[in-house]
Order: sequence, then structure tokens, then C-alpha cells
Amino acid sequence: MSLVQLYIPSDVARYTVSQLGELGLVQFRDLNSEVSAFQRSFVNDVRRFDEIERKLRYLYSQIERNDVDIYEFLDDDFVGSSRGPRDIDDMEERISAHEDRVLKLTAAFKNLQLKHLELLENKYILEEVSSLFTEITGRQDAGPGEVGIDVDVGGLGRDINVGFIAGVISRDRISTLERVLWRSLRGNMFLNYVDIEDPISDPKHDEPVYKSAFIVFAHGASLRDRATKIAESLGATLYQVDSSAERRQEELIDTMSRLDDLQQILENNNVARVNELTSVSEQINTWFTVVRKEKAIYHTLNLFNYDANRNCLIAEGWCAANDISAIQSALHMATEDAGSNVPTVLQELRTTKEPPTFIRTNKFTDGFQNIVDAYGVPKAGEVNPGLFTCITFPFLFALMFGDLGHGFLMTLCAALLCIYERRLGWLAKNESLRMFYSGRYIILLMGIFSMFTGFLYNDIFSRAMGFFASGWAWPADQGGEGVTVEATKLGHVYPVGIDPAWHHASNSLLFTNSYKMKMSIVLGVIHMTLGICLQVPNALHFKKRINIIHVFVPQIIFLFSIFGYLVFTIILKWSTDWYARDASGELTHISPPSLLNMLIYMFLSPGGVSDSEKMFRGQGVLQTFLLLVALACVPWMLLVKPLILRREHQKIISEGYGRISSHVRVSSEGEGLGGAVVVAEQEEMQEDDFDFADIMINQTIHTIEFCLNSISNTASYLRLWALSLAHAQLSEVLWTMTFLPTLKMSGSLQPVAIMCGFGVWFVLTFSILIGMEGLSAFLHALRLHWVEFNNKFYDGTGVKFEPFSFKTVLDEAEE
Amino acid sequence: MGGALVFWVGLLICGVCVGAMFTFKSRSDPTLWRTCTILSLTCCYLMWAITYLAQLHPIIVPKRDDLRIDL
Repeated sequence: MSLVQLYIPSDVARYTVSQLGELGLVQFRDLNSEVSAFQRSFVNDVRRFDEIERKLRYLYSQIERNDVDIYEFLDDDFVGSSRGPRDIDDMEERISAHEDRVLKLTAAFKNLQLKHLELLENKYILEEVSSLFTEITGRQDAGPGEVGIDVDVGGLGRDINVGFIAGVISRDRISTLERVLWRSLRGNMFLNYVDIEDPISDPKHDEPVYKSAFIVFAHGASLRDRATKIAESLGATLYQVDSSAERRQEELIDTMSRLDDLQQILENNNVARVNELTSVSEQINTWFTVVRKEKAIYHTLNLFNYDANRNCLIAEGWCAANDISAIQSALHMATEDAGSNVPTVLQELRTTKEPPTFIRTNKFTDGFQNIVDAYGVPKAGEVNPGLFTCITFPFLFALMFGDLGHGFLMTLCAALLCIYERRLGWLAKNESLRMFYSGRYIILLMGIFSMFTGFLYNDIFSRAMGFFASGWAWPADQGGEGVTVEATKLGHVYPVGIDPAWHHASNSLLFTNSYKMKMSIVLGVIHMTLGICLQVPNALHFKKRINIIHVFVPQIIFLFSIFGYLVFTIILKWSTDWYARDASGELTHISPPSLLNMLIYMFLSPGGVSDSEKMFRGQGVLQTFLLLVALACVPWMLLVKPLILRREHQKIISEGYGRISSHVRVSSEGEGLGGAVVVAEQEEMQEDDFDFADIMINQTIHTIEFCLNSISNTASYLRLWALSLAHAQLSEVLWTMTFLPTLKMSGSLQPVAIMCGFGVWFVLTFSILIGMEGLSAFLHALRLHWVEFNNKFYDGTGVKFEPFSFKTVLDEAEE
Repeated sequence: MGGALVFWVGLLICGVCVGAMFTFKSRSDPTLWRTCTILSLTCCYLMWAITYLAQLHPIIVPKRDDLRIDL
């Protein structure tokens, strides 16, 4: 990582940032952090593109509302980096024009729709009113002919001043209207209504509404006024209807023709709008991309130091040291794009700042690096645990998930994901499936290692495999109901994996538990040792020799003198033939000792080993020695490092080199721009306040934590055994409960039963044993890495390198 | 074949690991490949060796009570 400074002539600035954004290799520092967001130099440009983006969003929403297809088309020439300010202006103009037209068309459409609604309701009213009249007069005097009645009613209204109002109201309001009118007019009214069968689309509502046409007869003008007010307040629309049938007929014809005209206009408007939006939809993706890029450019330019006098911008940023040549060529291209002959100058700065950490990942290591980053990002130069996690993570997972069959299925799924990763790219966009897609290489390795451990555990879907000759023989002449038969040992050992003879043995758990427990401890101690050893490269890189001699060495001695010894005795116990007999047939060894008791008594009664537990000569003395060494390591870890630091500090003080100031401004003469003085701020210089109490407290915590953790972490690795036991037992139970009974059945239904049994067994195997058990084993492997492995050497206090890149900007915008 | 097998295989694995240190030069990320090869070889060897050692001098004998007499 190196800190580079760029002097960019201001007319090239846009092109430069654009090129660097396409490249995505530089992380710019904010040089205006004391300036608020509103006071920065390019805030107007950012606002301008915000406005354009708002317009685009409006157009987009209109496109979606009108179901216009969006072209997945990107104008590469335009989206690429060489567009000039003229192109942008053109684009802005076109977008504004489009937006203007769409706005106008939409407003006109709304108006027309309202008119259309009015006419439509009027039409319905005219159609329905005659039937309302019929009903009323029919009830008044029974049975006269229709034509006469209409005239009659009209005449009646005039004579005794009974008038009516007619209107349309939504269907669910009609009963309210009736009740309110009845009460407020004290019954001096008559209301009748007819439901309009077709739903009417009302621009005020999103969905078409069912409405009813009603007619209210009331006596006297004042009552009719009141009725009118009430009806309008309830949302009804009233229409003038003539009482004579001929006039109504004429009006109906008139309304119909106007309705037809309006329909035509509406359709024309719609076509025009869709055409407009279609022409927008061809470009909208391009425009969105360009606008987002431009906005990002100006946001980035806001981070730069603007030198108005020299008309140039000064940028600082981090980039990988071996990417500088690529950046140089991008700068060159930007100058050409702009048609300028003043080049951008790039200069590397010496700095004491903590650089961000750039970890090059590929699609294989990316998933593993994510696991590590979730715990903490490594500091620049710190050992990255991701490198080791690539293998140890799937391996520890597989120890808990060991089954050849399950591992094979898992490998198969992951392999499909990996082979068709291009075609399955859409999975990455799905919230719940993204986890599996982005972790496909982790799953692949987990599956492969599970197949290996499953082969060693000799488990395939909880069944045994007999690839090699068993080391045990079952006697053929013994057995029967309730008789326990012991196998006899043959001369050889089952070469790879657990002997299949242990499967179905009544005491198989006794053996596998002891084996898996011991394996967990041995592998755990080795894993932790690797973790502790990784302190060494860290100390070498950060030039802290003191960490090797007074942290690493006592830690490794402490671990080895207790748990290293335990591992040694485990292996010793395995490689000793406890039932060997000498020439005279006497047992050469005592009965096998218990290692757990040995470890406990190593602490409780140092030096004393009872004869029945003694594994080798001098065991008592060795144990006392190891215990003393471990004890001696505790004050070593606790005191030596702080005392040495203090002595060094006092030496510096006594020689007269105190601290001057923690804020130093370093000025250097720039060369490129006519001796411009460039100020590289060197804030946040390393704080070297020496506080002995702080160091001492830290060291105490660290020491206590390490000593206690070395015990608890070792025990923690026993989860490898526990989970693997649970997995093996669960798959055994599943087999015997679901599939096995169908195999033992007899009768003609057996084939059907086998199919059902297999189906149930397979589905449960996949969902519970591979899905859920897999997740739980994943979780435990994660914990073993984060807690047991990482805390031995890994600070993880770095900051991730996040280069400015259009790709991330656009990805974020899409989400 | 006794316990010495573990030792010989271990020696062999060590040899392969040392060999792996000098391969993958043409790959884009040799450190990653080397580390992965060495770690996976070590892991697999350790597990095999532990399994083998655990059965070398068994303390208990497998027992079954569901065997039928072979007639």
C-alpha cells in the first residue's frame, strides 16, 4: 500500500476521476473533512445530478405504471469514460424534455379522465332514470302504461312542486345516503336507486368502483337543496336530468357521441404517452448509469483539495504499490480524453499513517476471507488468517460432519454451483440463497473433506464399508440369543480408517468416543500451536522482537508443558501394547492407565505417580519439571515485557529525547508544479505516551486470558468429538427408523413400502443431516476459528481497502 | 506393518510438502496454492495417523450380542 498524491489540472479532473473509477484501484482520502457537505466545491454539480436522477426516477415509475418494457441496453460508448460535458448537457436537456412532455401528457390524461367519468356517469343516469321513474309511478297508481306515466310524473312534479335530484354514488354509500336523507328531511322524501352493473374507473381511486344511480324526490326547493348538499357531502355526483323522456333520449344520444369522442382523445393521449415512455425506456438504463457515475465523480471531487489560484485539484489516496503503473496509464488516458496537454502528476508520499488493508481475493478465497473479515480486518502486514482458514475451516467442519454419503451429496450440490456459476449468477441477488452461492467454494471443500473424514470414520449414510480386510475376526461357532461374542484380533491393523468390525459392535461407542475425543485434543493442540506460532511473522513484520522472546516463547512453553505433554501421553498410550507378554507369558506392562486421572493428579499431587498408573520411568520427575516450567512461564509472560519497555523508555528519557509534539506538519517542496508548496498533513502521529500502569494492566489481562484460555480452548475442541458423535448417531437412528424397517418387511406391498421409506429417509437425510447438521457444524467450525485460533495471534484492527470504483457505486445503487 | 508405517508415511508426506514449496511457480497465487496443498496434506495425514495409531494396540475388543451361530 502506498499513499499517492495527484495534482490534477481542473479541466482534466472529471476525466481523471472517471478513468480511476473505471479502474477501481484507488481509495481517496477526504482532504476536506473539516468542511461540511454543503460547503464543498462541487456541491452544485452533485445537486444537479440529484435533480436529473429524480427526473429519471419519475420517468421510471411512469414506465412501470404503464407496463412499458425496459430495454436492458447500455450504450457502451456513452457509459464509457470519454463523454464530455457537452454530452452530459445534451443528456440533461433530453431528459428534461422527456419529463416535461410526460408530465403534461399525464396531467392532460387526468383531466380527460375526469371528464370521461362525468360523461359516463351522466350516461348511466340517463339510462337508469327512466326505470326509476317507472317503479315510482307504478307504485303510486297501479298499472298504467309507461309512456303516459313519465309525462304524468313530470306533470305531477310541476303541479304539487315535487321535484327530484339524480346522481351517482358509490355503491356502499347508498344506504348511508338513504338514512341521512330520511332523518334530515324527516321522511319527506323518496329515494330510489339502481346499481350500475359495470364498474366505473375513477381516477381518484386506483381500482374501478361499483356505483349506483339514485334519484331523490322531495317536496319543495329548500328540501331539494338540503338533499343536494347532503348527497354531495357524501361524495355523490349530481347530474341535471330532464323529466321528459324525449329530452332524456336526446341528451343520451348527445352524451354518447361526446363520450365516443372523448374515448378517442383518451386513446390518442395514451398512445402518445406510451410512445414517449418507450423512447425513454430505450435509454433509461444508460442514463441512470451515466448519472450515477457522474454523481459519484463529483462526490469524489468533493474529497479533493481545490486550489483556486493554481487552478488545480490535489488528491490523496491509497493504492497498491504494484498498481501504480496501471494508475499512471489511466491518468494519461484521461488527459487524452480531455484533449488537454497539461498532464496529471502522481507522486508517492512517505507516511506514518496506518494504511488500509488490501487483500487480493479470487472467487475461491473470497468466501473464506469474508469469514475472517467478519471477525476483523487484518492490519496491513499482519498475517492474514484467511490463508489458513481455506483448508483448516473445511477440515474442522468435516471432522464434525464425517460421512462419505453426506459429504458426497454436499460436494455434488456445491460442484453444480461452481460449474454453472455464470448461469446461476442470479442466485447472488436472492437474499436467502446468496449465502450458499457466495460460499459455494467453502461448501465444495467442506464436502470434499467430509468425504475424506467419512471414509476414515468408515461411515456412508451410517453404514460401514469394507474396502480392506478387517483386523478382527468373528468366531463362527459362538452366538445365539443374548450371548455376547468377542472378536479376535488378527495380525494386521485396518490400514485406512476405522475397522468395520466396530460397526454394530455393542461397545462401538466406547471405542469411537475415546478415539474421537483424543483426536479432538491432538488436532486442537496442533491447531492452537499453529495459531501461537503465527505470532512470529507478525512480530518480525512489525519489528517487535520483544514479542517473540517474551510473549511467543513463554506461551508456547506453557502450552507444550501441559497440553503438549498430554498429546505425548495420548500417542504413547496408543503405541504401547498393553497386553504384550514376555517369553515366560507374564504381562510386561501394567493395565492401561487413565490419562484424565494422570492429568488431574499432575496438578493435585505433583511428583507422585502411583504404580498402577505409571506409563514410563521418571514420569513423576518429568511431570514436576513440566509443572514448574509452566508455572515459571506465568510471571515471565506477566512481568518481563512491561519491565523491559519501561527500562527502554527511561533510557530514552535519560538521554534527553522526550516527546516533542504529537501533531507535526511536514512540508515538502513539490516539483511538478513550479515549486508549489504542498502540505501533506501528518496528523494522528503515533501516540507514544508511555503509561506503565496501562501496559501492566494490559499485560495482566493478556496473561490471565492466555493461561485460562489454553485450558478452556483445549476443552473447547472437544466439540469436534461431540458434534461428530451426534451426527453419526443421528444418521444411524434415521436409517434404522425409516429405511431399514421397509427392507425387513415381507409381502407384496414391500416394493411400495421401500419406495416410501427411501423417500422419507432421503428427504430427512437431506434436510436434517445435511442442511441442519451442516449449519450447526459450520457454526462450530466458525467458532473454533474465531475464538480458539484467531485470538492466539490476530488483532484484526485494520481498515478494509475500499477503492473508488463505479462498479461498487452502481451495485449499491441497484440495491 | 506396525507403528513404523505412521512414521514412514509421515516422512513421505514431509517430502511431498517440501516438494510443494517449490512448485506452483507458474500459478497466479503460488503462496495460496502451496499453503493449501501443505495444509490439506498435513490435515489428512494427521487424521489418518491418529486413526491408525488408535487401532494399533486396542485396549478393548469389539463385542456383539446379535450374532447367530453359523449352521
